[in-house]
Amino acid sequence: MDLIAKLLPPAHILLDLEASSKKRAFEQAGLLFENNLGIARATVFDSLFAREKLGSTGLGQGVAIPHGRIKGLKEAAGAFMRLSAPVPFDSPDGKPVGLMFVLLVPEQATEQHLQILSELAQRFSDRAFREALGACDNTDDAHRLFTDWGNHAANLHQPAV
Amino acid sequence: MKIVILGAGQVGASVAEALVHEANDITIVDNDRERLAALQDRLDLRTVCGNAALPSILGDAGLDDADLLIAVTQSDQTNLVACKIAKSRFNVPTRIARLRAADFLEDEQLLSDENFAVDFAICPEENITDYIVRLVDFPEALQVLEFAEGRLVMVAVRAYEGGALVGKPVRKLREHLPSQVDARIAALFRQDQPIIPEGETVIHAGDEVFIIAASEHIRPVLRELRRMMRPVKRVMIAGGGNIGYRVATALQQRLEVKLVEHNRSRAEWIAPRLGDTLVLCGDATDEDLLEQENIAEMDLFLALTNDDEDNIMAASLAKRLGCQRVLALINRRAYADMVQGGPIDIGISPAQVSIGTLLAHVRRADVSQVHSLRRGAAEALELVAHGDRNSSRVVGRSLGEIPLPKGVTIAAIVRDLETPEIIGYQGPVGIQAYGHVVIAHRDTVIQSGDHVIVFCVNKKLVHKVEKLFQVGFGFL
Repeated sequence: MDLIAKLLPPAHILLDLEASSKKRAFEQAGLLFENNLGIARATVFDSLFAREKLGSTGLGQGVAIPHGRIKGLKEAAGAFMRLSAPVPFDSPDGKPVGLMFVLLVPEQATEQHLQILSELAQRFSDRAFREALGACDNTDDAHRLFTDWGNHAANLHQPAV
Repeated sequence: MKIVILGAGQVGASVAEALVHEANDITIVDNDRERLAALQDRLDLRTVCGNAALPSILGDAGLDDADLLIAVTQSDQTNLVACKIAKSRFNVPTRIARLRAADFLEDEQLLSDENFAVDFAICPEENITDYIVRLVDFPEALQVLEFAEGRLVMVAVRAYEGGALVGKPVRKLREHLPSQVDARIAALFRQDQPIIPEGETVIHAGDEVFIIAASEHIRPVLRELRRMMRPVKRVMIAGGGNIGYRVATALQQRLEVKLVEHNRSRAEWIAPRLGDTLVLCGDATDEDLLEQENIAEMDLFLALTNDDEDNIMAASLAKRLGCQRVLALINRRAYADMVQGGPIDIGISPAQVSIGTLLAHVRRADVSQVHSLRRGAAEALELVAHGDRNSSRVVGRSLGEIPLPKGVTIAAIVRDLETPEIIGYQGPVGIQAYGHVVIAHRDTVIQSGDHVIVFCVNKKLVHKVEKLFQVGFGFL
């Protein structure tokens, strides 16, 4: 469960981002990674678009997890963006996307990266988690959701003594 | 996908028509208000009237949010400027330009991101020329298409009374072929209606048969299907415009070429540039002229003027005067459908031929080639399969297992396209080709990286094929 927390520092969370399209959102993601990690924004942008061409990374329910391989990247990096208005994303359910988790992985992707991806998908499939993300009003709260949700969820399954 | 198209001419309108469906958001820009209005009446798209080379107009067209720019105005300059602005000002991820002048196409550096920033250049005149030249090489074909850089060839022929396969089921084809040669009938059209070819389907005289085989096998396969016609030696071309001139240039060294051009100054311009072609100034719909120039002795007549009616009349006349095979360029698709198979052997709708290369870049999934068939009614695609059994719906599965929509056929596969193999010998020297051809059978299993040739009898099915070949969310 710590896999996600590790790759998402609070500075990588943008709430109520103004982006009128998938393209604009990817531009913002490029900018974020350029400023924080020094990866050229065009590299991020091109990589996300190239992956999208092979098939949409939209999960449905207004969520997408765009991802791409980045040459020279040492370890996986993530960013979370909540858009002020959802944008078309060619998702399986046809719904526009308002919650976006961008994942960048090294060129030689490993089993661990697939693990991250499936963990993200699982996390976002939880309706309560999506609603909590939609409701929080600062990045710290959003960050806490990503780091603590697993424990919180695990607690729910423990017998209440 | 958000797509902005510049230019509402033949090419722009055909592209728009091919792309308009629920998942695309299309804006088309042109400076002719009436042309835009006519298009908007017919198709669900947004229009912007103005000069497509201006940043303000491009902004109005929504380039800020666009995934793709298709610059297909009549002007190379406008298309180049638009691509440059789209890259530097609007950061549009993919930019396609139509370029007529060979000067721009010859220098890749000119089109790089630092310069004009054109990702893919298309040249309709060149596409049409190649298309016609391939037809010259296959005298019995209605259409000749190449896939996987020419490794596979698909040919449409009309099944003739007395042909070896007429009256026999499709499965007999393999029995007729030498053991090392394989081919597949990808589709059959009978009186314009598609018939899904299965083993027991019987071929009738008059059927339009699409057959696919490795490039080195296609001729022996055709020989089984039809008696061969004599190879083309003499060609007459009507119209010395852009396309007529290019076709004559491509053919004049190996064939006897006559070209009839109506306009005297144009005829005078092309004559010295076409050293091995006999250029005549005259009217190709003039019966006397055609007879004088021995039209009955011609193996092929190509009506390539920019006037549909002239082309149809000239080609019909040539046919009636005894020319072996006649072809006409016909812009209006209704005309093309009407005359092909009647007085005219082959009607080509130029826009449909030229948008194929463009569509390959626009389709979702990894598409490397698209051929528009039967003047836009059907489509053949070359898709690259990616992923594994989990992330793909096609990889790791036999063709029998893949849930293909009705009307969709997987015809063949090219595997390891980067690896050369010996396909035959010329004396002691091996002939090399890249990629290994696998003709599709029920038990063929698709691997990641395979180039898969898919035939859709109706272009409405293309969207489903794209979906089928898209990788799942879990593909990294």
